[in-house]
This record gives sequence, structure tokens and C-alpha cells, in this order.
Amino acid sequence: MISVSPDIAKIKNVVAPADLTAEQTALQMNDLSLFYGDKQALYNIDMKIPKGKVTAFIGPSGCGKSTLLRCINRMNDLVDICRVEGEILLEGKNIYDKDVDVASLRQNVGMVFQRPNPFPKSIYENVVYGLRIQGINDKRRLDEVVETSLRKAALWDEVKDRLHDSAFGLSGGQQQRLVIARAIAIEPKVLLLDEPTSALDPISTLTIEELINDLKETYTVVIVTHNMQQAARVSNYAAFMFMGELVEYTDTNQLFTAPEKKKTEDYITGRYG
Amino acid sequence: MDLKIDKHISGQFSKELEGMLSHVLDMGGIVEQQIAQALEAIGQFDSKLAQKIIKEDEKINAYEVLIDEECARVIAKRQPAAIDLRIILAIAKIIADLERIGDETCRMVRAAQEHFNKTERQFLVDLDHMGQQVLQMFKAVLDALARMDSEAAYDVYKLDKKIDKAYEGITRQLMTYMMEDPRSIPKIMDVMWATRSLERIGDRCQNISEHVIYLIKGKDVRHAPTERIEAILAAKK
Repeated sequence: MISVSPDIAKIKNVVAPADLTAEQTALQMNDLSLFYGDKQALYNIDMKIPKGKVTAFIGPSGCGKSTLLRCINRMNDLVDICRVEGEILLEGKNIYDKDVDVASLRQNVGMVFQRPNPFPKSIYENVVYGLRIQGINDKRRLDEVVETSLRKAALWDEVKDRLHDSAFGLSGGQQQRLVIARAIAIEPKVLLLDEPTSALDPISTLTIEELINDLKETYTVVIVTHNMQQAARVSNYAAFMFMGELVEYTDTNQLFTAPEKKKTEDYITGRYG
Repeated sequence: MDLKIDKHISGQFSKELEGMLSHVLDMGGIVEQQIAQALEAIGQFDSKLAQKIIKEDEKINAYEVLIDEECARVIAKRQPAAIDLRIILAIAKIIADLERIGDETCRMVRAAQEHFNKTERQFLVDLDHMGQQVLQMFKAVLDALARMDSEAAYDVYKLDKKIDKAYEGITRQLMTYMMEDPRSIPKIMDVMWATRSLERIGDRCQNISEHVIYLIKGKDVRHAPTERIEAILAAKK
């Protein structure tokens, strides 16, 4: 630790990712490698993702950031030729253990994609979809979940009078917030966001960013984004990836003002190395 | 680390940064000339030159305003990060220091308005010697900035101790003169103020060297103990 006075250290109040205690850690990746057939896409990734914070993965196209994100709720299982080595611990349990039920893993680890993908149903039914699948049909309970989820997703005031209209009638930004409401309705521990605003206009983008900031009170958020300024704005920790390797992972303020590695510096300042 | 401000994918951005930096160096060039001429004016009792120096300070002020505007514009347009951000922050602070050095120079030349007789000229000998040291220090820090050389900046940083010592020495000597001949006090006070200004310029040069180290190394070395600064400089990127 650098020698700053204790008062300043307190004001800054930053824990380096490597120093996170087990209690502060939501996810831990140990020596994680991933292969698509013969081609290796991720190389020996070790990282701890802090609980109740926003962690951003940044890097050029094809660097493996989305692949890494998808590992966290085993989306890569759907790809036949994909093979994973190493482990990802969610609350101390390796999610790649044989006895892990993928459906219940995904209840704990929700995911939101680049393009909003509401189901062709009403706003209400979109939000309660996950609960209905779990066999919950108690109307009072569902009504409650719809309201709290939509409120958390900052959408309630805009749609409360038309909950039974089709979700397709919403704007792109509203649809994306609806999808986030759907993801948090089942109360996951971790929320994965894969380019959540790249299809949205600047104002909707700001609304979603504001929402991400609120969500971290309750959830651990991991976000992949091409927009570096967005990563700088919304995240507490940021990881720079390049060609399947984790180049630098540290607190966001550090990464965007004085990164340690030259590769990181070149990327975030828009230079070709 | 090889520090390059060019190589942006956006060539326009590189040009803007290069333009700003070259304005800072132009501004530094004027300040350097001002310090040199101020020393000359004092040594030669040249009150005309002193007037010119005071007039010329307006140019330095104008540069400060111009470069500040450029900083604001680049921040608004480019959202700079990492080294680019540090360049802009450092520039904004360096030009404030340069402007203050300009002001100190104007204050200094008040000593040139007086006429010193033969015996009184001894007051000025050490002042000129200290002035030359400060001028060298200023040139060196400007050079360190131009070459983005943190080692050279640190050499300047260390020079400030020497300047402080010279300042103490001169003050003590001037006090002796004052005690010997109280009638000379008004003139000696002018020399004292000029010495004080030189000492302040030395401090400002040290500040600039800190900004240069921050710019290059990404670590703030203000108020840091020597060992820490040296550890930062030794660390490779």
C-alpha cells in the first residue's frame, strides 16, 4: 500500500480485487480456461468479483469478455464444441461441478443481453414468467413481485397503467428495463449484463446506467461493454482483457487514470500499440 | 515506458494534444526570456527593460487563458482517460505555475528601478548568482517536460534545496548590511523582495517537476518522502 495518510486512505476506501475477503467476494474464478474445439478462447483466468459492486469487462472485439461473462451462468454449455477447465466459485461452490443444476444456477445468475428480448406477452406476464415456471401462481404474490421488480427497474411509473398491454408496445429503452425487471423478479444473486445499452439511444442509456447504480445495492452486477466511458461511469472495478487473457484488473478509478500496463493504456486512450 | 502522445486512432486528437503541449512550451519560452531579462535589468539598472518586462507579462497571461480553454475543449470533446487525461491535468496545473512565475518576475524587476552606487552594488552580486541558478532550473524543467523525461524532472526537483540554501545565505547577508547602514534599508528591501521572488520561482519549478513526474508515471509525488519518489521513478511501466 502506498503511504498516504490514514484519513485519505479512508476517503478513498478501495480494496484491491486481490485483497477481497471471502465475505466480500461474490464470484471467484480459478485458473479458468475455455476452448472452442482446438482453439483456446480464455487463458488461465484468476479473478475475484466483489459482492454488491459493479464489475466491468472491457476489451476489443474477440478478446473473450463476452465468453467469460457467459461462463458465469454456463451459457457456453449450449455450444457443443466448447470445453471449460478450471473453476468458478459462486458462494464457495464450483458452478461447473457435476451435481450443479443449471436451471437453478441461472435463477441465481440472471442475464440481460444486447438487444432487449421481451417475450410476446403482456408486460405483466413478462415479469412473472420466471415465477410461473417455478409454479408460483398466487395472484397477490405475483402482483407484488411485478410492482417491486418494475420499481427496481425504474419502469413502474411509466407502465403501471398498462401492465396488460403487449411488451412490444414499449420503446427500446423501456423494453430493456422490462427485461432487467424480469431478470430480477426471481431475485438472483448476480446479474450479468452483456452490452445492455448498445442498442439504445443516449437518454435511455443514461437511465439504464442510473439503474445499474441502484441495482448494485441488492445484486452483484457484472457488465460487458464496448463503451469505455460507460465502464468508467458505472463500474467500481474494471477488467481489461486482450486475446483471451486478463491483462489488468483493478479499481475503475485507477484503471482510467493511471493503468499499470501499457496495453491497457493504449486501449483505453484509443491508440494502436 | 516510451511515452507518446501521438498514435491515437483519432489523428485529430493527437494533433490537439500536440498543439496544446507546444503552446505550453511557447509560453514557457516567453517566461524563460522574462526571467533572463529581469536578471539583466536588475544587474544593469535598466528601468526601460524593466518596463518592457512588465508589459510582456500580458502575453503570458493570455497564453494561460488560451491553454485553459483548450484543456476544457479537449475534456468536453474527447473524454480523455489515462495518459491523455494526465497530460491535460498536468498542463492545466503547469500553466498556472508558469503564470505565477511571470508575476514573480514582474515583482523582481522593481529592484531595477533603483540606482545602486558603487558600494551598494555588492548587494546585487549574490542575487545575480542565485538568479542564474533559478534560470537554469527553469530551463531544465521545461526541457524535462518537452522530452517527457521523469528522471530529468526529478533532478530539477532536487535543485530546489540548493535554491533555498542560497536564499537563506543572501537574506543573512542583506540583514548584516542593513545593520551596518540603516540608510540603505529601502534599497536592500528591494533586493530582498527580488531574492524572495527568485526563491518562489524555484518552488514553482519544483511544482512543475512534480506535475511532469505525475504525467509520466501516473503517481502523485507531492509531499512524498524522497524514498517513495525514487521508488516510483525506478518502477518500470
